[in-house]
Amino acid sequence: MEGIMFYIISAITVGGALGVLLSKNPYRAAMWMIFSFFGIAGLFVMLHAQFNAMLQIIVYAGAIAVMIVLVMMIMDRRTLESLERFNPQAFWPALIGLALLADLSFLAYEFKIDVSNAGKNLAINGSNTQMIGEVLFKHYLLPFEVTAIILLVALIGAVVLTKKDIG
Amino acid sequence: MTGYLVVSALLIAIGATGVMIRRNFMIVLMSLEIMINGAGLFLIAMSYYLGNVSGQVMFIFIAAVAASETAVGLAIAVMMYKRKKSIDINDFSILKK
Repeated sequence: MEGIMFYIISAITVGGALGVLLSKNPYRAAMWMIFSFFGIAGLFVMLHAQFNAMLQIIVYAGAIAVMIVLVMMIMDRRTLESLERFNPQAFWPALIGLALLADLSFLAYEFKIDVSNAGKNLAINGSNTQMIGEVLFKHYLLPFEVTAIILLVALIGAVVLTKKDIG
Repeated sequence: MTGYLVVSALLIAIGATGVMIRRNFMIVLMSLEIMINGAGLFLIAMSYYLGNVSGQVMFIFIAAVAASETAVGLAIAVMMYKRKKSIDINDFSILKK
């Protein structure tokens, strides 16, 4: 049962990614991207990462996808849709992508770790969120604060880049 | 376990190919998101199979960095669109002589 679910959800995920890669219309590509993000959220649920599945839906399928679609909304539709699909020199980069896929798949098949702890230590009192909170605020407090600074810098950078007298 | 790693490899390869061969800058940004999600899937899968929740905490950091990267990327897209009235990455060569 779980194997069949895994194949269905990974088909959704990889199909959505292929839709982004191949669709000519950028609005359709954004919809395929959201499709793929929901598939990844499903894979996270299968890996007992419920908090990150919800984070995936809220941050990626919510915030980032809406941000991209909003920016496409303020651009001219004809400019966005009239572009050619691929670069004229797309053949060799596509081959490099295939080589990367072969390399990473080979690594995935050769990868051996000790899986005796699989599925353990992921929740306190049955709550994945509580476990993440414990680890995040006990062991990763400094990276958490640095993340806040990164977000602030990105915010200021985006505002400065889109200011009128610079562009 | 191999299944999750192969899906993660597929996402990273598809995202890298999209970054390299697409002309539309918005789709290049979407492919970057797909690549970041491939890396995140790898972290979550390893967190499950090693029985250590640190990978899931790392995914939170990855999500924050991905959001910042998209914000800056979209700001660059808007700026270049204002200058060039185009979203084709082949027009984005203002540093070329």
